[in-house]
Amino acid sequence: MSALSEQPGLYFVVATILPMVSFLLLILTAFLRHAARACDSPLCNTLYRVLGGGRPGRTAAYVATTAIALSFVCSLVGAIHFASHGQDHHRIEELKEEAHHLESEFAHRPVEEHPKIEKELQTVNAEIHRLESKWVGRIEWANPAGPYGTKKDARASILYVGYRIDNLTVVMFLMVTLIATLIHIFSIGYMSEELAEEVEDHQVHTADGHLKRRGRFGRFFLFLSLFCFSMLNLVLADNLFQVFVSWELVGICSYLLIGFNYERQSASNAANKAFITNRVGDAGFVIGLLIIWTYIGTFNFEEIFKTIRAPLTDSHGVRPLRTKIDGEYVPLGARIVRANLVVEDGEKKLVPSQTGDQAVLFSPKVHLHVEDADPGDETDESKWYLKSFYPDFDSTDSMPYWLLVAAGLGIFVGCVGKSAQFPLHVWLPDAMEGPTPVSALIHAATMVAAGVYLVARAFPLFTAEALIVIAYVGGITLFVAATIAIVQTDIKKVLAYSTVSQLGYMMLALGVGGWVAGIFHLITHAFFKALLFLCSGSVIFGCHHEQEMTKMGGLFPKMKITALTMLVGVLTIAGTPLFSGWYSKDMIVAQSLGYVRLHPEHFLLFLLPVVTAGITTFYMFRMWLMTFTGKPRDKHVFEHAKESPATMTIPLIVLAVFSICVAWGWPLHDPEASHLNKVIHHGQPHHVLADFGGLAELGELEHAPGLVFKHVERSERYWALKLHGLAELSAFVAAGIGVIFAFLLYYQSRQTGKTRLDPEEAREQFPGVYALFANKWYFDELYSALLVRPALRVSQWCKAFDLRGIDGVINGSGRCTVTLSRWSGWVDRYIVDGLVNLIASVSYGVGSWLRRVQTGYIRSYVLFLVLAAIGVFAILSYFLAMAAAG
Amino acid sequence: MTVTLTHYLVLGALLFVCGALCMALKRNGIGVLMGVELVLNGANVNFVALAHFNPAFAVEGQIFALFVIVMAAAEAAIALAIVLNFYNNHLSVDVDTAEELKG
Amino acid sequence: MSTNELQAILFYLVAAITALCAIGVVVTQHIVRAATWLLFTLAGTAGVFFLLGADFVAAIQILVYVGGTLVLVVFGVMLTAQSPFISLRASAAEWAIGTVVGFLLFGMLAVSLYSANWNFPEPGQTASPKNSMNSVVLGESLLGFEEATPAANMTGFPPGAAPPSRKAVAYLLPFEIVSVHLLVVLIGAAYLARARRRRQATST
Repeated sequence: MSALSEQPGLYFVVATILPMVSFLLLILTAFLRHAARACDSPLCNTLYRVLGGGRPGRTAAYVATTAIALSFVCSLVGAIHFASHGQDHHRIEELKEEAHHLESEFAHRPVEEHPKIEKELQTVNAEIHRLESKWVGRIEWANPAGPYGTKKDARASILYVGYRIDNLTVVMFLMVTLIATLIHIFSIGYMSEELAEEVEDHQVHTADGHLKRRGRFGRFFLFLSLFCFSMLNLVLADNLFQVFVSWELVGICSYLLIGFNYERQSASNAANKAFITNRVGDAGFVIGLLIIWTYIGTFNFEEIFKTIRAPLTDSHGVRPLRTKIDGEYVPLGARIVRANLVVEDGEKKLVPSQTGDQAVLFSPKVHLHVEDADPGDETDESKWYLKSFYPDFDSTDSMPYWLLVAAGLGIFVGCVGKSAQFPLHVWLPDAMEGPTPVSALIHAATMVAAGVYLVARAFPLFTAEALIVIAYVGGITLFVAATIAIVQTDIKKVLAYSTVSQLGYMMLALGVGGWVAGIFHLITHAFFKALLFLCSGSVIFGCHHEQEMTKMGGLFPKMKITALTMLVGVLTIAGTPLFSGWYSKDMIVAQSLGYVRLHPEHFLLFLLPVVTAGITTFYMFRMWLMTFTGKPRDKHVFEHAKESPATMTIPLIVLAVFSICVAWGWPLHDPEASHLNKVIHHGQPHHVLADFGGLAELGELEHAPGLVFKHVERSERYWALKLHGLAELSAFVAAGIGVIFAFLLYYQSRQTGKTRLDPEEAREQFPGVYALFANKWYFDELYSALLVRPALRVSQWCKAFDLRGIDGVINGSGRCTVTLSRWSGWVDRYIVDGLVNLIASVSYGVGSWLRRVQTGYIRSYVLFLVLAAIGVFAILSYFLAMAAAG
Repeated sequence: MTVTLTHYLVLGALLFVCGALCMALKRNGIGVLMGVELVLNGANVNFVALAHFNPAFAVEGQIFALFVIVMAAAEAAIALAIVLNFYNNHLSVDVDTAEELKG
Repeated sequence: MSTNELQAILFYLVAAITALCAIGVVVTQHIVRAATWLLFTLAGTAGVFFLLGADFVAAIQILVYVGGTLVLVVFGVMLTAQSPFISLRASAAEWAIGTVVGFLLFGMLAVSLYSANWNFPEPGQTASPKNSMNSVVLGESLLGFEEATPAANMTGFPPGAAPPSRKAVAYLLPFEIVSVHLLVVLIGAAYLARARRRRQATST
C-alpha cells in the first residue's frame, strides 16, 4: 500500500492487470477442465466437476465482472489521487524548463562554475524524478542491441513497457472501466442462453438440422477480460510500441468476438473482414513506427514530442523561442520547425524556412538556440538561424520533412483502420455479427475509439498536412456513414453506421484543432453509444434475436424501460440541449466553424458536420420510431416480445443517467464550464495550442509559460469560441429538420399504421440516391472490383505459375535427378559393385577350392607333408646344383 | 664288396619311406602309430650308421639312438592313450572318422 | 671268405629282411599282421645295429621296442578292435598316389644319398669286438669321462673354419631329462587312457 501512495500511478497499473488476472484464471481453468475431461480417473472426474463440468456456469461471468469492477474502483481511487496532485504537473514542467536551462549554462559559463551548476542540476533532476515517478514508470522490456538504433543515444535500442498517467489517461480509464463493468453486467443477462449444455444455432444448417454446440458463456467472458486488459494497456502505455502491441491485442479480441458464432458463415466472414481491413491500417502504423524508430530512435511519446517539437524557450531559458522566417516573425516554441540545411563557409546551418525540406530534431544532447543578438535589429536577417552547440549539424539533427508527414499519416492510417474511418470503414457494420454487448463495448465505446485516442495522444506528431488529411477523412466518413445509416433496416447496422459517423466527428475535430472537443465527444459518445447498443441488445433479446426493424414496431408498451432509455440515447446523439452529446457535438461544430472562418477554402469541413447533424437526428429517430411506435409490423415478434431482466435494464438506466449528465457543469448551458471538458482541457498538450492558438483568459498559458500563441485573429481556437453560438444554432436547426422529417416519415398512428409521408414514395422519388445509400455507396463492390477480384486474379496467376512454372521446374529437376540417380545406380550396381563382387567371388572360389585341401584326414596331411618335403628337396637340390655349377 | 655308409643310409631311407607310407595309407590309428615307429627306426639306423662310420660322431650317434628309442616308447604310450581316447569318442579306430579339422 | 665279405653278406641278408618286413607292414591290411611284420622289422633293425657294432643300442632296441613298445601296440590293437581282424582298407586311388609318392621320396632320398660326398676325418672302421662301443664306453661318455671322448674333431664345419676341440661329452643331464620326460609321459598316458564312462549314455 505504501508503494501505491508513493506512486499512485500504480493504481492504474493494477486496474490494467486485474482483467489480465481474470483472463489467466479463466483460461487456466478452461485448460484444466479440458485436461480433466480427457483423462479418466476419479480424481480427474472430481476436478472436472469442480471446474464446471459439462454445463457452463456463471462463475466465469462473476470472475470477469468482479475483476473489471475492481478495475473501475482502482481507476476511481487513482483518479481521486490524480485530482489531488494536480499541481505536480505544473511543477514538473517548471522544473524541466529549469533543468533545460541549467544544461545550456554549461556552454555559457566559465569552467570553474560547472560543479556548482552540476549540483543544482542534480537537485532539480532528483525533484523531477520524485514527482514524475508518482505518475510515470517504465521497465526495460527488450533490448534489441545492435547497430539498428541511432548512434546518438543508447536508449534508442531499448524497448520499454511503461505507464504515464495524465488527464487523458485518467478520463479514458474511468470511461473504459465504467462502461466495461456495466456491459459485463448486461452480458450476464444477455448471454444467459449460452449457459445451456447444448445450444442450437438456428442460423447454421448442417446435414442433420441446426447446429448444436456447447454453450460458450465462459468463453465470452474470457475474451471480454482479455479485451479489457488490452484496451486498458493501450490507454496506459507511455510509448507507441506498447500501444501497437495492445492495438493488435484488441484487434484479435475483436476478431474472436465478431466470430463468436464462427459456425455462421456470415460471422466468420465478418471476423475475417474486420481483421484484414485492420491489417491494412496496421501496415500504415508499422510504417509510421519504423520511420519514428529510425529517425527519432525512441517510442516514448514524451521523448518523441520533445524531439520533433521545438522547446518553448531558447537555450537561455528566458526568451520565448521565435525567429524570423521568410521575412516575418514566427513563434517556434512547441512547433515543428522546417528548415533547409545550408552549408556556409564550411559550416552547416539549419536555416528555418516555411517550405524547408528538413524537420529539425531537437534532441536532448543538441542544444539549439536562435542566434538573436538584438531583438530590435530586425533588418539583419542573416542572424536568424538555429545553431547547435556542436560544431556541425549532422544527419541526426534533422529528418526529411516528408518522412515526418509520412510517419504521421502512417500512424493515422492505423487509426483509420481501427476507428473504421473512410476508406476502411467497411468492416465495422459487418462486425455487428458479434454479440450485441461486444458491439456496444468494442465496436462502439472503446476499441474503435482507440484510433481517435491515438490520434489525440500522438497529436504533436502530426504535421499540418497530416492534420488536414485527418480532418477530411473525418468529414467524409461522418457524412457517408450517416447517409448509409438512413436506409438501414437492421437495428444494429443503423447503430454501427452511426458509430462510424460519430467517430468521423471526432477525427474531424482533431484534424481542425479541436483536441478537447474530439476527446470530449469520444467520452460522451462512449456512454450514449454503449447505451444505444445495449438498448438495441435488449430489444433483440426481447424479440428473440430479431434484428430487422421492419418486423418490429409498437414495442413501447412491451418494454418501457428499454424504450425510454433508448430515447435518452437518441436524444443525446441528436444533440438535444443539456444532454451530454449536445456539449461535445456543438463543440466540434464550433471548432470546425472556427477553422473554416480562417480557411474558407475548407468550407466543407463545416458544412458536412452540420448537415450530418440533421441526418443523424433523422436516422436515430427513424430507428426509435420504427422500433417502438406505431402498429406492430410482425404479429409473431410482437406477441413474444418482453422486457429484459434486471441485469440488463439496470446497466441501461445507469448508462442513461451518465449519457445525460456526464458533461454537466455549472452553469449548465455553458459547454466550457463542463467539468469533463475542463479535465480534458487540462490534459491538452500545449502543442495543440501552438498549432491552433489558445486563449490566455482560459488559463491556457499556465501550462506552457513560454508558449507564444498565434495572433488572436489567426487563432482557430479564438474563432471557435467566438462563433460557438452560431455553430450551435446551425446544428440545432439541422437537427430540428431531421426530427421533423423523421416524424413525418416514420411516426405511424397506432390505429391506422399510416404515416404522414410515405417512406416508399420518398424512396421512389430518389431511386438513384436510395440505391447509392442502400448499397453503402458501393464501397464493398468497389473494393471487390478494385482489390478482392484483382487479388484473386493475381493469386490464380500465382497458382498457375506455381503449378506450371515452379512445379514444372521442380518436377523437371526431380525427373533429372531420378534419371541421373538411376544411371549412377547402374554404375554403382554393375561396375563398382561388380568389381567388388568379382574380387569377393574370386576369393570365395579360391577359398572354397582351397578348403578342400583341408580334408581333416590325418593321412592326407601326412601325404601332403611328404609331398612338401619332396618339393622342398627338389627345389633345394636344384639351387644347390646351380650354386655348384655357378 | 664292402658295405659303405650309403648302404646303411639307403636302408634307413627305405624304413623312413615305409613309415611315411604307412602313416599315409593306414586308416587304422594303430597302423599310423606303427608308421611312426618305422620312421623312428629309419632315423635310428642313420644315427647308428653315422656313429659307426664317423669317428667324431661315435658316441653321440649311439646316445641319440638311445634317446630316440626312449622317445619312441614314450610316444607309443601317448599315442596309444590317444588312440584309446579316440576309440572311446568315435567307437572306431578309423582315423578318417576324425575329420573335425576339415576346412 | 673275408671279413668284409661276410659282413656284406650278413648286411644284405639282414637289410633285405628288414626292408621286406617294413614293406610288409605297409602293404598288409590286417593290423595284427602288420604288428607281426613290424616285430620282424624292429628285430632286423636290431640286427643292423649289431652289424654296426652298436651292441648296447641293439640290445636296448630289442628290449624296449620288441619287448615294450610292440607289446604296447598289440595291447592297443586288442583294446580297440571290435574284431581283431577288421580291415580298414584305403582306396585304390590312395594306394596309387601313396605308391607314387613313396617311390618319389625314396628315389629322391636315394639319389641325394648316392650323390653325397662324405668327408669324414678317417676312413670307416670295420666293426670288431675290440673297438666296439660297448656299454662301458657309453656309460663313461654319459658321465663325461675324458677317456670316452672321441679323438676326432667335430665334422660338418665349412672349409677354413677350425672345429673346436672337444674335451668331454656329458649327456647325463639330457639323459635325466629324458627319463623324467618318460615318467611324465607314462603318467599322462595313464591319465589319458583311463577308463571313462561314456558321455553318450548320460547326455542322450
